[in-house]
Amino acid sequence: MNPLLVRPIRLLAVVALCVLATTAFSKKQAKQATPAAAKAPATPVNPNFVKAIGNPSAPITMEVFGDFQCPACRGFFEATTKQVIDDYVIPGKVYLVHRDFPLEMHPFARQAAQLANAAAEFGKFEDMERALYDHQDEWSTRGNIDQVVGGAFSAAEFKKFQAFETQHISEINASIERDRALGMQRNVNQTPTVYITTKGKTEALPGGGVDYKLLKSYLDYLLRQ
Amino acid sequence: MATTAIPSEASSRSCAWPGVLLAVGRIVLGSIFIIAAYTKLHFDGAWHFGDYHFFFAMAIDSYKMLPTSMVQWMARFLPWGELGLGLLLISGYGLRWSGLAATALMAVFIYAMTHAYILKLEIMCGCFGNNEKVGPLTLIRDSSLLVLALAVTIGAFVLENRRDTAPS
Repeated sequence: MNPLLVRPIRLLAVVALCVLATTAFSKKQAKQATPAAAKAPATPVNPNFVKAIGNPSAPITMEVFGDFQCPACRGFFEATTKQVIDDYVIPGKVYLVHRDFPLEMHPFARQAAQLANAAAEFGKFEDMERALYDHQDEWSTRGNIDQVVGGAFSAAEFKKFQAFETQHISEINASIERDRALGMQRNVNQTPTVYITTKGKTEALPGGGVDYKLLKSYLDYLLRQ
Repeated sequence: MATTAIPSEASSRSCAWPGVLLAVGRIVLGSIFIIAAYTKLHFDGAWHFGDYHFFFAMAIDSYKMLPTSMVQWMARFLPWGELGLGLLLISGYGLRWSGLAATALMAVFIYAMTHAYILKLEIMCGCFGNNEKVGPLTLIRDSSLLVLALAVTIGAFVLENRRDTAPS
């Protein structure tokens, strides 16, 4: 070998080794960091307000534009969403995403959405969604959400949600507005409106909620594809 | 000679009018049925031959009038029925019966929409795709189509009757 080339080759080899070692080390670090990151943080530092249930890499993503004070949304949640969670979300077939779309006609819908966003930051979105819909009749007339829904959580836990909501209200409102803007962009004109995304293709289902049996046949069809 | 020719020409011209009107009516009605079928099979920028019935079934089901099995059956066949009916109306073949079928179908649609409207169901019409809510406008539009279908049917029966009774 030409002695003039030996030095640069050695240098290149050293650099390549360094790059490989750094990559391997950072991957190991990332692997170690994942379980900790997956845990719900005690006090979220960078809130992202992900109101979702299930595995993000599921083959189907189901987005529901909903309003916690809307009776049709409650009907859809009780009759369809709960079954979708049991049959598709828990087995990892569907990733269920809630999008806030509080309607002007419902005076307490935004307040409920704010609380749900705060709970989401502590990994409690699913429980909060259930509590809000299950007790909708009790809070939707007087707006006493905290009083009614608080009973579904421990006092300490609910205090954390409330404190977080107070501290991050502007970020929470911005998150709600982002969801609303997405809905407007997609011409959502009623709640609940459901979007199904699979293989990069998004389809809107007829607005106003969908019967579980019909939705199930559609989801099964998509999963067979 | 001229005095006898003019009234006969005029009467033959006036006799042609109902036929022309009927032809226009059936072509308009037939085209609307074809458009209705098209919007159920082609939406969101693509043909949905494999899955159109899921979306349409959800739209029919939102009227809360039929059991799920019947909803699924209707969703599968109705768009093709509308397409066939539209083609029959445009061709004019068996017009009395296709007119009757169109009238009956429109009457069923209006009954379902009125039922939903009275019950204040906030649902999509499903008439021309899934993008318009049931409301006064959809009711007026479909009622106009019912009147047109009825006119075509009556016209088809009257003309057929005239043809049968006309001296050869």
